[in-house]
Amino acid sequence: MIDIDLTDDEALLAKTVRSWFADFVDNSYLNAQRDSADGYEAARWEQMCALGWTGINLPGRVGGADGTLAEAGLVAREYGRAAFASPLLATMRTATALDTLGGCDPVLSRIAAGGRAALVAPADRTVHAAPAGDGTYRLAGPPTVVEWLTQAADVALLLPVAGGETWICALTSPGELADRTVAVPSVDNERVFRLDLDGLRVTPALDGIAPRAAAYALARANLLRASAMVGGCEAVLEMSTRYAMERVQFGQPIGAFQAVRHHLGRMVIALDAARLTCNEALTRADRDVDETAIAAVALFAAGRSYVEIVLTAAQIHGGVGTTTEHVLHHHYLRAKAMQLRAGKRANRLREIHQALVVRREGSLW
Amino acid sequence: MKTVLGDEQLAFLAELRSYLDGLDPELVAATRAENIDDPMQPREHGRRFLRTLGADGWLGVSWPREYGGQGRTAIESWLLAEELYSRRLPNGLLTLNAIGPTLMLVGTDAQKAEYLPRIRAGELEFAIGYSEPDAGSDLASLRTRAVRDGDDYVVNGQKIWTTGASVATHFWLAVRTGPQEARHKGVSIFITPMDTPGITITPIITQGGERTNAVFLDNVRIPASSMVGAENEGWKALVTALNFERMFYHNEPRWELRQLTDWAAEAGLLDGDTPEAHALQATVGEHAVDVEICRLFALRGARLLAEGRVPHFEASVNKVWWGELRQRICSTGLDLIGEDGTIATGSPYAPAHGHLEHGLRSSPVWRFGGGTNEIQLDIIATQGLGMPR
Repeated sequence: MIDIDLTDDEALLAKTVRSWFADFVDNSYLNAQRDSADGYEAARWEQMCALGWTGINLPGRVGGADGTLAEAGLVAREYGRAAFASPLLATMRTATALDTLGGCDPVLSRIAAGGRAALVAPADRTVHAAPAGDGTYRLAGPPTVVEWLTQAADVALLLPVAGGETWICALTSPGELADRTVAVPSVDNERVFRLDLDGLRVTPALDGIAPRAAAYALARANLLRASAMVGGCEAVLEMSTRYAMERVQFGQPIGAFQAVRHHLGRMVIALDAARLTCNEALTRADRDVDETAIAAVALFAAGRSYVEIVLTAAQIHGGVGTTTEHVLHHHYLRAKAMQLRAGKRANRLREIHQALVVRREGSLW
Repeated sequence: MKTVLGDEQLAFLAELRSYLDGLDPELVAATRAENIDDPMQPREHGRRFLRTLGADGWLGVSWPREYGGQGRTAIESWLLAEELYSRRLPNGLLTLNAIGPTLMLVGTDAQKAEYLPRIRAGELEFAIGYSEPDAGSDLASLRTRAVRDGDDYVVNGQKIWTTGASVATHFWLAVRTGPQEARHKGVSIFITPMDTPGITITPIITQGGERTNAVFLDNVRIPASSMVGAENEGWKALVTALNFERMFYHNEPRWELRQLTDWAAEAGLLDGDTPEAHALQATVGEHAVDVEICRLFALRGARLLAEGRVPHFEASVNKVWWGELRQRICSTGLDLIGEDGTIATGSPYAPAHGHLEHGLRSSPVWRFGGGTNEIQLDIIATQGLGMPR
């Protein structure tokens, strides 16, 4: 099925990125990286940077390609389709958030030049900053889980100030956080760390950020994760469709059974829901629009659809889909992990309720 | 990503809104009440409303100018449907949105000349005669037979679930002209006035209070020139009309959600900070997500039409989502209301003006009308993914 939203240039970009991943990523490769010390290959990272993906939507003045968020979203989509793990998504999310906020060009320049970055912004706003004199803030809250923290050169902390009137953005490095960082195993093949920020004193790079500006920066960053999940949905539906045609039981392909066809029909609906909302959000999320509702809808829909699709795909594949010999298992594990990285379901839904129903943000009706 | 709604479309919407705001408030209120009561049968006020829209040039906005339309794209047509339904006003039902476009594709020049201008003017209302007592989802087994007799065909048989038959001016009728075993290759489509001698309509009243009908055809004579498409080749017209019909689902879930949120606002739960309010906000938040998805499914259909394609499995996706969502909003909405939700429509004490409980009673047809959702899922898997039948 084709994506009717893409321009010719975007379709070409998606095809290029897809074939780059398809060239070397398969289940064996993903298993090998999962079992490796670093979790990804430095050489592949350098290739992705050389292809310009980490800076695709960054401004030319920092060495970026001046592209759109939609283009970054398509890179993320193919990353998700391949179930590929690396600091790519974390770096692109950090870059997008900082670029949206503005005022962090040195970090963006390092990212555009091939540096890795990590973003610390607990989805459920569990860590707060309190003014501690001389322009500094003391952080308080429970430990939080951060992707690819120690592999990053730059770490951005984007946190609300206690009371919620403003936000701060502090820039730091894994070295400065080393005694607060513990590597923990992740459900999926991304690498995660438990970071305890409680009591840390920081001097923010950006101060007095309006809550709406912070929310919009995170919404744009999160659209990249949503798009990666859409890519995962596409991949899993395709492999399930193929399997339903190949797998013969009772003398016919299992896709000839109505029960299986109905599963597949539901998967199409789930994919289309995720893809259409994500594409619309990517289209609408220009730098200065400051509209978070549709992006939040896209993030929620992508997580819900990806999980629904992998659960159904596991049922269609049966035992073979549950083994580590099958690439479905990577998607199965990534779907729930990626959904959970958006935080607690009820909190996200209440935010969507506030934005869409109470504020009626961005709706023609 | 391609831009879908440009300045031209938004200007159209603004112009439409200003037109609708300027209509006679009594006509609008009466039409709305009638439409809420039974949306599938525009009666006295609904037809007056549609004729007004037709006379003012607001029906068939996406129709070609040669048929009296504005020659705009299907996107404007979608905007019109969304806007009208947001006000809970009719937008011409299947006559304007399925029969008209199908006639443009498969009708003869004489049929186009006879029907299209009057459909666009809001003067005609078609009832759709597909289902029979023994031919529901298995429509290709239909038995109502048309036999050639000179320049006419003589039709005998029975149709059922013919919603709108009692208020319709015309009948869009699927009949068997070939052998029974030819199934869909022996089906033809006719148009005949609803008052043709030999047609008897008996009411069937549903649990939601809406009227549908059984229609008996007893030696009904229809001129051969009233056949749509060639003999035994009516299936194409039928499927085309059904695909248009399945794109005919728009903003209804948003309207139902608004009934729930209006109730919640009065109950102090919409923006409240209690556990009960939080539970409502999470449930409504997911409904709001699903309403946005519903909007995008309908819009995708309009975009395909605007590109000159007829949505196929995409229409089925739209229809399944729309019907299940409406039913879900009514049911889970009542869950949030609780015991008071048992007070029936018509009582001034019914929460959300009784719209949710009325909706739940009306909801079964949303999941099987226009082709059951199970058939739709099969269409999605076979047409969309290439699964074997």
